[in-house]
Amino acid sequence: MLLRGLTWLIVFQLLGTGLNVLVLPFVPGPIIGMLLLLMCLIVRGGVSDSLDKAASGLLRYLPLLLVPPAAGVMLYGEELAAGWAAILVTMLLSFVLTLPFCGWLMQRLIRSQQRAGDDQ
Amino acid sequence: MSGSTQAALQAVIEHPLFLIGVTLAAYQTGLALYERSRLAIFHPIIVSVPIILVVLWALGFDYPTYYEAVLPLTILLGPTTVALAVPLYLNLRRIRQFLKPVVVTLVLGGLFATLSTFLIGWLMGAEPMILMTMAPKSLTTPIAMLVAEEIGGVVALAAVFVMITAVLGALLGPWLLRLFHITHPAAWGIAMGIVAHAVGTSRAMEEGEEAGAFAALGMSMMGLGSAVLLPLGVTLWTLWF
Repeated sequence: MLLRGLTWLIVFQLLGTGLNVLVLPFVPGPIIGMLLLLMCLIVRGGVSDSLDKAASGLLRYLPLLLVPPAAGVMLYGEELAAGWAAILVTMLLSFVLTLPFCGWLMQRLIRSQQRAGDDQ
Repeated sequence: MSGSTQAALQAVIEHPLFLIGVTLAAYQTGLALYERSRLAIFHPIIVSVPIILVVLWALGFDYPTYYEAVLPLTILLGPTTVALAVPLYLNLRRIRQFLKPVVVTLVLGGLFATLSTFLIGWLMGAEPMILMTMAPKSLTTPIAMLVAEEIGGVVALAAVFVMITAVLGALLGPWLLRLFHITHPAAWGIAMGIVAHAVGTSRAMEEGEEAGAFAALGMSMMGLGSAVLLPLGVTLWTLWF
């Protein structure tokens, strides 16, 4: 059962790779695959048991799969050493500005939607 | 050391499974530390990468050799990224409750997150390669890596920047939201999900079911939207100038 789900995931990944070369060179193949699968799920209106098993099985180990690419950081010591101050300031400032902005905006919009609902 | 011990050690180190074994062991060390401490700074990726780097350095492996050896693991990253569609689909059902607030917050918040990174980074004099790598820092790691590579950044550094964002989210996120009186669970959650991806989402789940669900929605939609729009935006920008 799990194998069938895994096969579908691989089929969608390959479809994504094909479409990436054919028509959408600026969107990465796996992302196109993800979008196609999402559309299929919306059209079907549900997630099959085998797909759910394969997806949750793989996603459980996602952090492990990310370790080897992250270890590539060893090749970029120089860039990090040269730019660390700019990097840290940018990341901190952008985080401190964006988080409250998103929360404030959402809260405001929810309150005005609720107020509009109360008026009716 | 006798000659035969040397030969045995050599055979172990040169075995095709050796570096996969090192990666699995390092990851589980990180996982154990993280589960015991529950501190974002001990995220399995943050702990295991330095362990692996030390082992590679001590035994004289270079990165391309390591990458080739662990390909059986990383080959699964593509289908796993496709698998993100499943939680995304399940989260999508949540949108209906607050359709307009969610859509507006995602669009404006997502733009704000990305543009503020570009602008502040540019003002701070960051290299273009670093800028392109920082731009997807709020996305979930697999998507951030793909997007960074697509727009001229670096996969490995993208993972590092995503991790730094995660640590910021866990350390400062709840405090910042309290400071600005953001108390509605849906607003609390979506902000953490948009800005601090998976770590923000797991922190929001501790806050409650509604906050957790909206964080997952924020993270998924931010990842999806940026995966398509960020490469498109950068392509248009470079065509224009």
